[in-house]
Amino acid sequence: MTPEDVLRAQQEGAAVLDLRTPKRFAGEHLEGAINLQFNRADLVDRAEMVLPADLPLVVHGEPEAIGKMAAKLLQEGGFEVLGHLEGGLKGWKEAGYATVTMPTIDVDTLHDNLADWAVVDSRDGFEFRYGRVPGSSLLSWTEAWEQAEDFEDPGKPVAVICGDEVRSSLVASILARLGHEPALVVGGMVDWIERDYEQDKG
Amino acid sequence: MIFKQFRYEPLNQASYLIGCARAKECFIVDPIDDLGVDFYIMEAADLNQTIVGVLETHLHADYVSCARELAEANDCPHYVFESAPATYYFTPLEDGQVLQVGEVKVKAIHTPGHTPEHTCYLVTDGARTDEPWAVLTGDSLFVGDVGRPDLLVGDQALDVMGEEERAQTQFRSIKEKLFTLPDHVEVFPNHYGGSACGGVNMSGKASSTIWFERNFNLAMAQPDAEAFGKFVKETAKPLPDNYGRIKSFNLGLIEKEEIAEAGV
Repeated sequence: MTPEDVLRAQQEGAAVLDLRTPKRFAGEHLEGAINLQFNRADLVDRAEMVLPADLPLVVHGEPEAIGKMAAKLLQEGGFEVLGHLEGGLKGWKEAGYATVTMPTIDVDTLHDNLADWAVVDSRDGFEFRYGRVPGSSLLSWTEAWEQAEDFEDPGKPVAVICGDEVRSSLVASILARLGHEPALVVGGMVDWIERDYEQDKG
Repeated sequence: MIFKQFRYEPLNQASYLIGCARAKECFIVDPIDDLGVDFYIMEAADLNQTIVGVLETHLHADYVSCARELAEANDCPHYVFESAPATYYFTPLEDGQVLQVGEVKVKAIHTPGHTPEHTCYLVTDGARTDEPWAVLTGDSLFVGDVGRPDLLVGDQALDVMGEEERAQTQFRSIKEKLFTLPDHVEVFPNHYGGSACGGVNMSGKASSTIWFERNFNLAMAQPDAEAFGKFVKETAKPLPDNYGRIKSFNLGLIEKEEIAEAGV
């Protein structure tokens, strides 16, 4: 699909599924895009766990071969895929359309300023209970699409965390789609645990 | 570190993915067109890796490279040793230059012989230790054998070195630059088994160690460069199919459509 087609599809209710890595997504993406990192093995399984079955999708992969492959796999999995963004981000910008970024924060900055942040943990419940950033709340990635509707602004900036960045970027992108302005915690719990920072358990 | 060897069995060719699991970025080394650009893109994506560089040990004569296209598709550099006589743009590497993804380092070791620009890549996983772990030997050191020195295109400006000189340089490069690496360093060649780039003594096993090859490589067991040259010539296989045109494409002299000749 051309950038024009993609924009029109977005306006008519389709969601852009950005298949790139969280770092690239945070750096620049289409407004309202959902970040679900591509791999062939379980892309469709993860999409089924997160997205409503009747949501029309436009996929954005780079290189474009990823977009084409994802469109095929998702269609075979029963999703309505309208097409893939031709020309990627470069083509989108050349067509004169705007992009947005997602702020990032590393675990050291988060740790040193923890009181200023509302930390949202996007992992599965068992991981959250095993050990988490003190004071964080759970918005598990598999529940995020439904629960994000009821997400209340905590009155301070939101930082979304997971093990690394894959699930946190997904959940943060869902929140951003609803008008929130979350930051992505780069390095995730792997970095947090490596630095031996305090954790809440249970 | 993520390290994956891709074997293309019809040509006994091996290409590689070297990445950092934490940084999620990787290099692809010596990609082959028979597998194709999309193959490497999908393999990298399945490992949650982004391709940030495409490296070649040399400009190949026995298979069509897709390094240029892969680098273009990923909008990343295509690295070849600085003296490579390619007619297209690439990012030149110097001897000793180190490329890095996350904690994984790849050091270029210029090893002329098979071709004048030939370069090996020494791999170190800084997450484990600063000791090197593996070396991608391209068409210099093979398992049990060495890369042949006689795949010339017949154009002096491009061939740079003749067959004799290549043989002697190959011997010295392997002895001085590879066999001086620590014993434990693993050897991963660009070819194995029946590939026409090596001789009859090349093993079907697609990896080895520096210690093993230093002790048991038949070509390198020759007493001097001259005996080595003679041995390599005597144990060579027939020349690879259509190598002149394949090399011409890899040099950027002809288009892909012009390579096909006599069933390649």
